[in-house]
Amino acid sequence: MTLVVDGMRRSHGAFELGPIDLAVDEEVLSVLGPSGCGKTTLLSTIAGTVTPDAGTISLGGLDLTGRPPEKRGTVLVFQDGALFPHMTARENVAYAASSEKRVEELADALEIDAVLDQRADTLSGGERQRVALARSLAADPDALLLDEPLANLDAPIKRRLRDELRPLLASLDVPVIYVTHDQREATAIGDRLAVIADGELLQLDTPDEVFAHPATPFVASFTGSTNLFRGAVVETGTGRALDWNGRRLDAAIGGATVGETVQFCIRPEYVTLAADETRNSVEGAITRRVFEGDGYLLDVVPDGGDEAVRLALSPPAYERAGLDERDRVRLALPADAIHVIGGVEECSAIGPARR
Amino acid sequence: MATRTDAARSRTTLFGFDWLTVALVLGGVLCLYYLTPLVSLFLSVPPGEILARMTDSTVVDAATTSLLSASISTTVATVFGLPLAYWLARSESGWTNAVLGVVVLPLVLPPTVGGIVLLTVFGPGAPIGAAAASAGVPLTRSLAGVVLAQTFVASPFVVVTAKAAFEGVDRTLEHASRSLGKGRWTTARNVTLPLAMPGIAAGVTLTFARAMGEFGATMMLSYYPRTMPVQIWVSFIELGLDNAYPIAVLLLLISVAALAILNTVAANPWQ
Repeated sequence: MTLVVDGMRRSHGAFELGPIDLAVDEEVLSVLGPSGCGKTTLLSTIAGTVTPDAGTISLGGLDLTGRPPEKRGTVLVFQDGALFPHMTARENVAYAASSEKRVEELADALEIDAVLDQRADTLSGGERQRVALARSLAADPDALLLDEPLANLDAPIKRRLRDELRPLLASLDVPVIYVTHDQREATAIGDRLAVIADGELLQLDTPDEVFAHPATPFVASFTGSTNLFRGAVVETGTGRALDWNGRRLDAAIGGATVGETVQFCIRPEYVTLAADETRNSVEGAITRRVFEGDGYLLDVVPDGGDEAVRLALSPPAYERAGLDERDRVRLALPADAIHVIGGVEECSAIGPARR
Repeated sequence: MATRTDAARSRTTLFGFDWLTVALVLGGVLCLYYLTPLVSLFLSVPPGEILARMTDSTVVDAATTSLLSASISTTVATVFGLPLAYWLARSESGWTNAVLGVVVLPLVLPPTVGGIVLLTVFGPGAPIGAAAASAGVPLTRSLAGVVLAQTFVASPFVVVTAKAAFEGVDRTLEHASRSLGKGRWTTARNVTLPLAMPGIAAGVTLTFARAMGEFGATMMLSYYPRTMPVQIWVSFIELGLDNAYPIAVLLLLISVAALAILNTVAANPWQ
């Protein structure tokens, strides 16, 4: 069964979503985007609680546009679970389930047996989402839509539920759309990843591909590729390279022509410490150090430049290097890790392209 | 630092204390003003005498008429009012404000004017009233007239209170129910109504209490059969204040019972 969103548009005041074109097979599609980008509106139009201004939505060849929410086979999981507070967890699941046996099965699968007879409004955040998931699965969805189901959970519970969700959602064999603003969640859960900003679908590909080759500067920065610079394409004699503030950087230039100014990015994890001066190496001083718990981020401003290059180091690598703020280091920007995004005129701001 | 905080605190305390005293005195006077006449009513008539008069046929008839008509009016108001209240709470149409204005109109209209307005439609001289009367269902000087008057004056309470109750139900819950494959009616019955029930119960109680006390419009539309408020008036005019006491006490007790219901099963709409 395939869920198809075709040329869908929906505007609300000054905000405009779309046109959105998507085809989701029996897979998990993560939709990643900042708050207010239109992710929730997208889900609401698929679920039928919001009517699109234009375009169609179909599931397994059946046109859903204009059908009431209960006649679509799409089941929506809400950010805070939207459990019925006057019912117990069991009653919530049973509300959608065809039999008592199904309730027990789902309670087992989602490990909520212990809280099944508690009133829904007494459950903890994690329990609430487990019950909400059990309830939505009890309805035997033909397509499952999840709207930031983990957004309001504490970090350890969030991580645990996230890791449980991935196999659970993949085993459903129905189209699943998982909306989140958290890039880690999006990549951990989705078979494919769509990035939306300002109501516009910017890129749709496998998570690896989106991370390695972001289509726009916004996708690059939102997926953590924070080293985003401008350079000019120059002729080297043996081919083309980038001129970045007077430095020569080897990189796969793609379709850009000589003389064109382009934006390029490199993920901080791919920047390395270099022992000697090599091609694509820069020297500078560490201006900032951020400890993120699972790693260190170092901002290095190359000599004669003003844009900092960010470098991510694992704790062991950081300790081995014995670095601190204001130390001088040499960085290597590997040519195969540099991704040229496109001409500056196309994406002049770090943000979604506006036309 | 510590001194400054202490000084600031004592200044606010002093300031707050003054205002608190004034507020308590003003509020206390008002509360006494409410309670003193009620207590005085009980004290002015010996309980034995009231109990003895409770069995008077006029008192029994008036109580029966009032309880019966108020129950019918409340049922009619609830049946017609709940769907309207739901629509008012959920609709994004620009008409909601205008409709709400129409609903609230009987609340601000003096009840006697309400009675006159109703007479122009249901009175024996008006087409509808005349037709009904010739069909053997007179709409004035009848139980039907009492119900018409009470419904007109009292029904806005259930609509307005239930509207607020419906607005208090998170729409997401309704969306969740629909998305789980349940239609509008199943959703309303299992999700919206149970969650709005305390507020709806409050509205129903208020409507009943208002219908029991309705005098102005009922007086114009249906002097007979006499409801309790009308009987109080008649007893007072014809036989003097003493004779109005028993029914007044009865009505007072019903009002207290309504208040008790508001504070237990129903959501108190003022809290």
